[in-house]
Amino acid sequence: MATLAIEELVSRMKSNRRFMENVTAMREIPSNEGTFRPFPEWVRPEIASILGKRGIKQLYSHQVHAMESVREGRDVVLVTPTASGKTLCYNLPVLQRIMEESETRALYLFPTKALAQDQMHEVHGLIGDLGVNIRTYTYDGDTPADARQAIRKQGHVVVTNPDMLHTGILPHHTKWQKLFTNLRYVVIDELHVYRGVFGSHLTNVIRRLVRICRFYGCDPVFICCSATVANPREHAENLLERSVELIDKSGAPAASKTFILFNPPIVNRELGIRQSALTPSRKIAADLIGNDIQTIIFTTSRLNVEVLTKYLKDQFSRKKPLGDQFVTGYRGGYLPNLRRKVEQGLRNREVMGVVSTNALELGVDIGDLEACIMAGYPGSIASTWQQAGRAGRRKGHSLAMLISRSSPMDQFIVENPDYFFASSPEHCRVNPDNLLILLHHLKSAAFELPFERGEKFGNENIEELLDYLEEKGVLHRVDDRWHWAAESYPADEVSLRSINPENVVIVDTSNAGDHQVIAEADWDSAFTTVHDDAIYMVESQQYHVDHLDLERKKAYVKKVDVDYYTDAMTYTNVRVIDSFETGRHGNLIAEHGEVQVVRKVVGYKKIKFYTSENLGYGDVTLPEKDMHTTSYWFTIPRDLLSNLPYTQAEIIDGLAGLAYSLHHLAAIILMADIRDIDRSIGDKSGEWFVRHGRDKRMIIAGPHADQDEEGVRTDSFDPTIFIFDAYPGGIGFSDLLYREHEELLTSAGNLIRSCPCAHGCPSCVGPILEVGTMAKEVALAILRLVGRA
Amino acid sequence: MSIRRKLERLTGETGSREKAPDRSQEIGALRRRIDIIMRRRPEVAAPLRSGFDGERVDLGDVVRGDEVENDHGRFFLVHDEIPSSSRHGSRRIEEISSLDMRRAALIANEDEIAGFHCTDGLFLDTETTGLSGGTGTIAFLIGIGWFDGNAFVTEQLFARDFSEERAALAYLSDLARRKRFLITFNGKSFDVGLLSSRFIMNRLPDPLSVLPHLDLLHPSRRLLGHRLENSRLGTIEQEVLGFRREGDIPGSEIPQRYFDWLRRRDGRLVGDIFEHNRLDVISMATLTVHLTGLLGYEPVRDDCLHEDALAVARLLLDRGCEDEAQGFLSSLFCSKNRGVADEAGRILSLICKRKGNWTESVRIWEEMITGNACHLFAVEELAKWCEHREGDFDRALNLVQTVLENGHYLSITERNSFTYRLDRLKRRVGK
Repeated sequence: MATLAIEELVSRMKSNRRFMENVTAMREIPSNEGTFRPFPEWVRPEIASILGKRGIKQLYSHQVHAMESVREGRDVVLVTPTASGKTLCYNLPVLQRIMEESETRALYLFPTKALAQDQMHEVHGLIGDLGVNIRTYTYDGDTPADARQAIRKQGHVVVTNPDMLHTGILPHHTKWQKLFTNLRYVVIDELHVYRGVFGSHLTNVIRRLVRICRFYGCDPVFICCSATVANPREHAENLLERSVELIDKSGAPAASKTFILFNPPIVNRELGIRQSALTPSRKIAADLIGNDIQTIIFTTSRLNVEVLTKYLKDQFSRKKPLGDQFVTGYRGGYLPNLRRKVEQGLRNREVMGVVSTNALELGVDIGDLEACIMAGYPGSIASTWQQAGRAGRRKGHSLAMLISRSSPMDQFIVENPDYFFASSPEHCRVNPDNLLILLHHLKSAAFELPFERGEKFGNENIEELLDYLEEKGVLHRVDDRWHWAAESYPADEVSLRSINPENVVIVDTSNAGDHQVIAEADWDSAFTTVHDDAIYMVESQQYHVDHLDLERKKAYVKKVDVDYYTDAMTYTNVRVIDSFETGRHGNLIAEHGEVQVVRKVVGYKKIKFYTSENLGYGDVTLPEKDMHTTSYWFTIPRDLLSNLPYTQAEIIDGLAGLAYSLHHLAAIILMADIRDIDRSIGDKSGEWFVRHGRDKRMIIAGPHADQDEEGVRTDSFDPTIFIFDAYPGGIGFSDLLYREHEELLTSAGNLIRSCPCAHGCPSCVGPILEVGTMAKEVALAILRLVGRA
Repeated sequence: MSIRRKLERLTGETGSREKAPDRSQEIGALRRRIDIIMRRRPEVAAPLRSGFDGERVDLGDVVRGDEVENDHGRFFLVHDEIPSSSRHGSRRIEEISSLDMRRAALIANEDEIAGFHCTDGLFLDTETTGLSGGTGTIAFLIGIGWFDGNAFVTEQLFARDFSEERAALAYLSDLARRKRFLITFNGKSFDVGLLSSRFIMNRLPDPLSVLPHLDLLHPSRRLLGHRLENSRLGTIEQEVLGFRREGDIPGSEIPQRYFDWLRRRDGRLVGDIFEHNRLDVISMATLTVHLTGLLGYEPVRDDCLHEDALAVARLLLDRGCEDEAQGFLSSLFCSKNRGVADEAGRILSLICKRKGNWTESVRIWEEMITGNACHLFAVEELAKWCEHREGDFDRALNLVQTVLENGHYLSITERNSFTYRLDRLKRRVGK
């Protein structure tokens, strides 16, 4: 069969009426010719010549702009599309300077080890061509102990990540004397990743870095690169706390692209159920790959990566025998060598289809793909453009397609294409003066260098905090200096990322004599993916989990071939620790403050492949995990609810439906990823909370109550809906939601009332299989009670 | 589009925070919140240690020392001299004066030391505010020692507060400049690195890291490790140097004692630390004497010491002193300790084989199988020699067969390798 080129496929889609019925928008993004400039005069001829050999005879306008600014010592943030030659903007001035002054040092920060490796190889390539003695090393947790000393003393360019800077470099800065006395450039790539908690931490790490630089008498230039976000300059200035020059006019040529928003058909109007986004994704991806069009499919969860990879593998292996690599999965948790193999396979087109989580969203080098399918809205406009940018780089035509799920966010995006195409992407927010975060870093900073009276650290007057730490006995003040006075190593007490740094390794015991590690799972996701009796999938091979040994951090699995997968059921319980603010809105009380969230995996569902039929349940016994975070909540007085003409079970369903829509709307209002926040229904004391049982929702007394205990009546507590930050310590969303309380409830009223479904659907109060057939009606009744509908 | 408007208002001004709440109120709230968290993590703020109740005692009443002042400030110095005739465990202090510098250089693997005199050495041991290292750890007590010809001098530089560290370091720096090499116990990975860091933090030149360095930990492990439960200095004192400490403070308690001292200024809190540190320095000196003594081995009766000698031979081989090593090994080959004799013979025979001295090698192997016809190493080597050099297949076959017939203890790999050899020999004999 002859294969079709991508332009022909796109025009066939356009003429397919059934296909077009589900397309809510199709936009043509024109190609861009590019603006070129010659190399600046100061660039050494050797550098120009080796670049020339690589086909770079002249530069893009933004590259020249960035290089000139860096050369003149200005801090810059560069915001241009994927494949616009961002890395050269810093590599060229850095290498040039090292060639001029051989003592010069540069520090590169990447959010992941994989990106750091990539970058190191790129710099190595340039240095190799130049034939100069410039030493570039990655320095991270994998760096062998015997290599570290050489890196500290001799590395011209040290490529690392913020976590390593935080725990491994800054607290040992005296060993890095050579680097810190000669540090001229600090490169921070993928700046947009540093938002929320991670960004707040990074800002503090930068404060510490600048403080150490000052001690050694250096003042490096900061060069930042970011994907397109709404406020790149402001974000860079918030992170670096200095003014930064913005370079955002790309001179790079870009291929034309067709961008399609696709809403899968409604398959059950009564239940408001749409076809799963995976179904059209599978069909379209198979069509593209079958036509030799290299395609990347992004899904929103690791589980979906595996399910979709299996579907596609099944499909292609039916036709003809193909290499194992023809279609493959890619996600965090795959071992590094497997990931390198996939990346390599993508570059040399052995891999024609890859199903990935957002792990491939960042700048890992996978070459130029032609089509990108997003099975589900990635959660933010910035991520959507970033993922779409994976297809089509410089020439030819490319296709990007967003296929929506039933969730309110997805529906909002595909049903409002103007909003999507016209809207600027998200703002990046940080709150570096979050007291808990600040306190952690003050400790680390004091460990690194004593604080002097009057010294600045961020925007706060820190003296009171230093006094506090002195009172607690971790600092000791003498002669107006605060010294670290404790045995512990403060940088180890806090992880910059929300995830627990611990990992669980997954061991395949299918072959009794030859146990093999096949993957790893981070601590948090291990609870939901490799609990006892779970079906775990790697590269669409299924494994049954025989035992999860939390103590040894190992999960023992065996290969199986079954027709189902498992989905964990968890419960969440929230208890208020401290209320920061309280406001009365009619007969409701809204608050925000600090809460303790307890989560526990209680069981799992077995779900059949293809039909998604529920095949049964199993129990799981795992310890609960708790987290301190911030939350916004409001309480509905019980007297009010007792006036409603519904049963207590229906009222609970109504509250659950309301919480569902509030959760999704909050994510849109905050322009945050839906997973950045979470919801729970309970009462403020944490004494009662609502839990989803096997067949009904019930109110449970305390998190330890027995699953089968009789439900408690709604009239014995004042139901409270919590929308909380899904990160320990909080990101500062709850404060914003508290201020938007009225708007939030009004929007929920509008959303639910105007939804065309009969009894509730995933686009308003949630699927009726989960919230029941009365949820929509009761949720509206509750909103009417409080004057919002 | 009211959501749009809201969004713009919400996100438009991230930089300027709206009306920050009253700071003192917030700090109060913070305290409460942190206290809640801290209560769940008991190890964070350790309470003062009990056991030092009652009236505070001045430092000077616990340790005899003086305040010293220099250009960089003040600190507290304890000076002590131990006369040559005193004993420390089973050694006399004056033995330090006869330190063999060539052997010290061999142990240290630093040739330069051979040219120095024993009075050029500076013994060093620090007590620190933590064991994890990093720039937040300081050496609040620096113990040093040297032999001045008549006595062993110890000095202890104590920073009574963080502000006195600089003066103490400057004093150490002056003293170190007058010495030519350094002797420590685990100083390479701990004390010297930590002090270098402190010099940098105090913007003082670092005189230590350039000195040749004899770190006693590694040679102790090599030469004595086989009979020690662990390689801690305290264990070596007890097992090897014949010295037992009474009421010594456990190292793990030292940092907290110092933090308590900072707050209470009670000399009793640090008295034990001074004594602990002083003994460490003196023990390092006698340990140096002991280790160099081992290199001058003369046949000893005690079987246990034969193992020390074997370790010495190995060290000498590594340092390229083959003749000396051979001397040790030849005499150890006669040891009553079978394990030692065997190993000595093995090493010795391989040295001879490498040098082409087959006569000697064969003599050793034959001696080894005299007592034990199934000595795997000797049989294998002899069989190889018979087969490849002598062409005496019959004897080789015989040797191998004996092993296979009697060797029910052979591992699978060993049995396979011997069987393989046997088959080949049978073929060759048959030809």
